Amino acid sequence: MDRISKAKSVLWIILGIAGAVGITRFIFGLGVTTNLTDNTPWGFWIGFDVMGGVALAAGGFVIAAINYIFGNERMHPISRAAILTAFLGYIAVAVGLLFDLGLPWNIWHMMVFWNPHSPLFEVGWCVMLYLSILFLEFAPVILEKWPERKLLAKIHAMLEKVKIPIVIVGIMLSTLHQSSLGSLFLAMPFKLHPIWYTPILPVIFFVSAICLGLTMVMVEGLATSYLYKKEEHPYVLNTLRKSAIVMLLIYAALRFGDIFYRGADKLLFTGTASILFWLEISFTLIIPLIIFSTKGINKKVSWMFVGAFSGVFGIVMNRLNVGGIAHVNNIAESATFYLPSFTEITISAGVVSGAVLIFFYFIENFNVWEEKPVDGTLEVKSIPKFSSNKVYLGSTKVTNRIKFSFFFVIAFGVTFASISGSTIENKGIEEVKVTKARGGDTLIIDGNRDGFAVTFKHEFHKSKNIECGSCHHMNKPGDKSTGCYECHSGMYSEGDGFKHDWHSSSAGAGQSCFKCHDQNVSKGKGFIKSIKKAKDLCLECHEDMFVKNSNIDKYETFKTASYADAMHGLCVNCHEETLKTDSTLKRLKPNLANCSNCHKDDYELKVKQMRGKKLMNKSVILP
Amino acid sequence: MDNLLEFAKGPLFRLTFAIMILGLIRMVGLAIMNGLEAKKLASDTTIAKKYVRKLTFGFILPIRAFRTRPLYAAVSILFHIGLLITPVFLFDHSLLFDRAVNFSLMDISLSKESADMLTMLTIISGILLVIMRAATKTSRFLSRRQDFVWPLLIVVPFISGFICANAAMSPDGYNAAILVHILSAELIFIILPFSKIAHCVLLPFSQWITARSWKFIAKGPEDVVIALNKEGKPL
Repeated sequence: MDRISKAKSVLWIILGIAGAVGITRFIFGLGVTTNLTDNTPWGFWIGFDVMGGVALAAGGFVIAAINYIFGNERMHPISRAAILTAFLGYIAVAVGLLFDLGLPWNIWHMMVFWNPHSPLFEVGWCVMLYLSILFLEFAPVILEKWPERKLLAKIHAMLEKVKIPIVIVGIMLSTLHQSSLGSLFLAMPFKLHPIWYTPILPVIFFVSAICLGLTMVMVEGLATSYLYKKEEHPYVLNTLRKSAIVMLLIYAALRFGDIFYRGADKLLFTGTASILFWLEISFTLIIPLIIFSTKGINKKVSWMFVGAFSGVFGIVMNRLNVGGIAHVNNIAESATFYLPSFTEITISAGVVSGAVLIFFYFIENFNVWEEKPVDGTLEVKSIPKFSSNKVYLGSTKVTNRIKFSFFFVIAFGVTFASISGSTIENKGIEEVKVTKARGGDTLIIDGNRDGFAVTFKHEFHKSKNIECGSCHHMNKPGDKSTGCYECHSGMYSEGDGFKHDWHSSSAGAGQSCFKCHDQNVSKGKGFIKSIKKAKDLCLECHEDMFVKNSNIDKYETFKTASYADAMHGLCVNCHEETLKTDSTLKRLKPNLANCSNCHKDDYELKVKQMRGKKLMNKSVILP
Repeated sequence: MDNLLEFAKGPLFRLTFAIMILGLIRMVGLAIMNGLEAKKLASDTTIAKKYVRKLTFGFILPIRAFRTRPLYAAVSILFHIGLLITPVFLFDHSLLFDRAVNFSLMDISLSKESADMLTMLTIISGILLVIMRAATKTSRFLSRRQDFVWPLLIVVPFISGFICANAAMSPDGYNAAILVHILSAELIFIILPFSKIAHCVLLPFSQWITARSWKFIAKGPEDVVIALNKEGKPL
């Protein structure tokens, strides 16, 4: 296999793994598939996919500025590739964000429900607009493929005319949101570690984005040159290297100047944070600056790649640190340290792989690499030519398609098999058990465990001549006035009021299947249903189960409602009538949509004070 | 044994099932893409669409085969009917599906008697197919080794499933039979998209592409010359 086929195979395999993992994330949700917690709600996806992705795509506006604003025409050969990288980078940001959002289908809300006070609102709009601008900047490359179509040619000519205004708007928007991503963290002065937290965070983000833009364009150019066996333009590479040195020095001055000015330099050699900081600084500044400025090795392509890649890695690490890892509650020893889970890393890798594959597609099918001579003397010799009819680099499109799709399918299948549904489900939300309460006069029901309870006075309800069966609508075998919690055992989850397996097991009741199910029916849902109504069937063995004057007369399923649902169903039915006459409540909130209308902090009994005390059986705190 | 059974029911099933579904989708995608692209390379792009349609859909219902070898065609059709209907509409399979994904064809599943009948039909017709293939000289000449193996392999889960459903036996015996049933079915799943059995989805496309391809001019030698960078040079 040639280089590019090998690279593509690996990317397709990653995409296959990410595909299977992505399905798991959408089926089981964020809580169980990621290591994110309330402590660290923003992790790898925000730090890498969004903040890193936006910064990684900064090459687009940096090269556009060098090319069109500062008028350095000799950088032209890489401008199209840089804009394509930026365009795909922003699309990857949007796709990565969809995985991180709890309700991804609400992503359009930002456009309609405005919140002008939020930095994220500004970032969201900026990214959206800049993505459109990037599309317009890159559109000529696509349109020029079909010069014979009149409409496309017209649009192409129009876009060429407004090229400079588009570039200017693009640079403005980039300046705005690259820095706004930093402003976002100005809102958390006590959460972000003092080495990273600074009032000039927006400026630092903007400058580092330019550094990252330059180094990323180098990485992208060198990598594609290697893969497609194309010569790199020495002039372009040299210009990039020199600009990168200048920008990295400015960044270093800003970063350390700010730290010393604020007096955070005392923290530079203490604790976990300092290790993170020095790792980041050595990747961002020390390694690239040494490689870029040492004579001899700064002309070698392999060393240049190492330097540029180290710079990219360092600045992405900075985004990760600011985004979540260097938050005080994360690096404090008491809290658990956040490290991204397998799911998070694979999905990010998958999104990047997808973007890279689309990048290759554009390179092979459109004129991304222009053949303009870089300057008078140096001409680039070998830009590979791609043609759909010709055999390219040993493998045809057909064989590639077969090969890559095979890798994708196998990677997807293996990952899908190795993700065990049961272990994921076991990691799920803990069931909230209802505390057993019996014999008290007053129940204090504090379902959310937040101190706001609703009280239920048993004697008071009895004195209103309410039938016992209204609430104690069913008894456990051999019991009288069974409490609510016995069947409605989960606060928010369904309970099992029948225990099917116990009835059928020989260790339990040892009943034959055909006592309840129809022997003649062996197919369809007909067999699952029982032959008689549950009420008649249960009564054959349990005489006292069904209470007289019970307010519930339908016994359709053996699953019981959650405690919260059961209580709501029971209480609201009666109290609805009272509410209609309650003028205060009616005036305030005629409907029951607001929990606090009923669940107000009870003035007679403060739950928090009562917790932990023995109450001589007068009232029972539930749960 | 129990661990092996759990493994076969869990991860191995997910692996083979996912590969089967995705692999079949891949096959259809590749067939469509290659078929569409093939037209680009053709010098004569006129295609007798009516003829192609007739050829494509004619092979789905193999009525023409009755003219030449009626008995073989009949057995083959019976085999395919049993093969497709029994596993999909079996009540026990529906129950497993219903538990796993809360969706199944339970309400239109087969009754026990008809399922047993169809299973027997599949087993007998499958074995008959192999015998008939071996008995005729022409088809024996045309057959490859795998053509004999696949029908026999397909029959294995039917036999073991039939034993599980009907024979009264010890738990260990049952477990062994069900293990054979699951593993053989999974083997079929995983080789399905990579072998001849992929004709279950590829049949219309292969006919379509074949019918189109007659119109093409062979360009293979030219491509080889270009690949070797020997354009215009004597070979």
